Amino acid sequence: MIEVGDKVIGYSTDPGVRNKGASGGLVTAILAAALEKGLVEEVVVLKHINEYEAIPIITSDVEDVLASAGSMHTVPVNLAKYAVGKNVAMPGKPCDIRGVIEQAKRNEVNIDNTYLIGLNCGGTMYPVQTQEMLINMYDIDPEDVKGENIEKGNLIFRTKSGEEKGISIDELEEAGYGRRVSCRYCDVKIPVNADLACGNWGVIGELSGNATFCEVMNEKGVRLLENAIDAGYIEIEPASEKAIAIREKVNNVMLSMGEKWSEKIFTEIPDGERTQYYMEQFADCINCGACKEVCPVCTCGEDSKCTMYHNLEDNYRMSMFHMVRLMHLSDSCIGCGQCTDVCPVDIPLTTIFRRFADKSQKKYNYKAGMTLERPPFLEVMPR
Amino acid sequence: MKMTENKQWEPKIVAFCCNWCSYGGADTAGMGRFQQPASLRIIRVMCSGRIDPLHVFNAFLEGADAVLVTGCHLGDCHYVNGNYKTQVRYDFMEDMIKELGLEPERLHLSWISASEGEKFANFVREVTEQVRKLGPSPLKPEGVN
Repeated sequence: MIEVGDKVIGYSTDPGVRNKGASGGLVTAILAAALEKGLVEEVVVLKHINEYEAIPIITSDVEDVLASAGSMHTVPVNLAKYAVGKNVAMPGKPCDIRGVIEQAKRNEVNIDNTYLIGLNCGGTMYPVQTQEMLINMYDIDPEDVKGENIEKGNLIFRTKSGEEKGISIDELEEAGYGRRVSCRYCDVKIPVNADLACGNWGVIGELSGNATFCEVMNEKGVRLLENAIDAGYIEIEPASEKAIAIREKVNNVMLSMGEKWSEKIFTEIPDGERTQYYMEQFADCINCGACKEVCPVCTCGEDSKCTMYHNLEDNYRMSMFHMVRLMHLSDSCIGCGQCTDVCPVDIPLTTIFRRFADKSQKKYNYKAGMTLERPPFLEVMPR
Repeated sequence: MKMTENKQWEPKIVAFCCNWCSYGGADTAGMGRFQQPASLRIIRVMCSGRIDPLHVFNAFLEGADAVLVTGCHLGDCHYVNGNYKTQVRYDFMEDMIKELGLEPERLHLSWISASEGEKFANFVREVTEQVRKLGPSPLKPEGVN
């Protein structure tokens, strides 16, 4: 039987799901099984609009779950807040999972009956920018694309006629396309904080592209996997030594790429110029509050401390709203990049927030959203 | 910052004092007639644990050149462990002030008991001297001196 720490390679038994899923449809089958066998009441999935757009939905309909199969790298939405107050199973990138765990620490999510299936993530892309990139760099009609994949540092697009074209991510990012900025320096690629950590890294040989590597992280993961096996939805086999080594290698390559980017992005600003820098960045703020609205860590609701000071009439040198948020998030920011995405005046919020968060989190040896450990700011005794 | 020619710039310092110890300390400093600069504005709070980082930042944005956070000595809190909570918050505030590019001398934490009038007066004198050297805070709103 399955045990915590097991590493397996599996795929869906249903040929339809197996072909539609990005790599064997394992995650789709586990979600469908969890829903059908009553492990959860609802499932959070993405509803496809087209190849570049999708909206998150909460559904109890298995058809919706099966229709959502397949990976999408161009939907940079954080699902964390969809799990709030419900008994759900949720697939997600490492930052989605980190968001849910942070919500759980703030008593918004009951972590015991929320099932999290983590998906390996090398980064996400903006929908509009991606279509532009397809025309300019790949010479492919965006309408013609049927799937995309990140493999060995290359971003590969598949057309409807079965053609594949890959360009290295480094090259794309030099040209100003590629992944979102926050994904470039993200340092969690394998979601070890979820119940199951799934992905196609480490799937080799004849199964390559048709199966998913899956690591069981805790008891809930065991329950999820056993439930799907008992229902006959999936088939699994233990992962070979070689497969585990390759997965580790891919992870390390991605992480070292991230480190390089973080050096490039977080170049230190000299002491004397920093106040000026932050004042200039925040001067554009129009106090719309969108960054707070989408933040997967915020749980205060509408009448929060930061919005109390949401007043342009104050005419402070620096936005009080952002100062409160900087303090509030310095130990809990998960770096998902949602705030930068929604900012209507293009303030690089995630990068600014990470400048504060990286220091605090390193100092207290705490990484937000990875475990259920209390945030250091909420501690009563100094560490 | 514009200064009127005949008027020397004087630092403006906001001190948060806890009702049970450091406010008493300030009182003792007055009763003991210890000389201290007139740069201080005291805000009395029931416990230093009541001080939200937001109060501190608001003080800076409203025109304070330095902010002092004071409370009872660790272990002496009237509310069991309020000052330990202050300490946790202060560590974060300190980091944030540094990252914002403000000089660390603009934010201070000190534990002062009701009997330590001289310590309070010396503390205020020292901080005023430091801030006078630094000059006005870059976060000071226009038109405030």
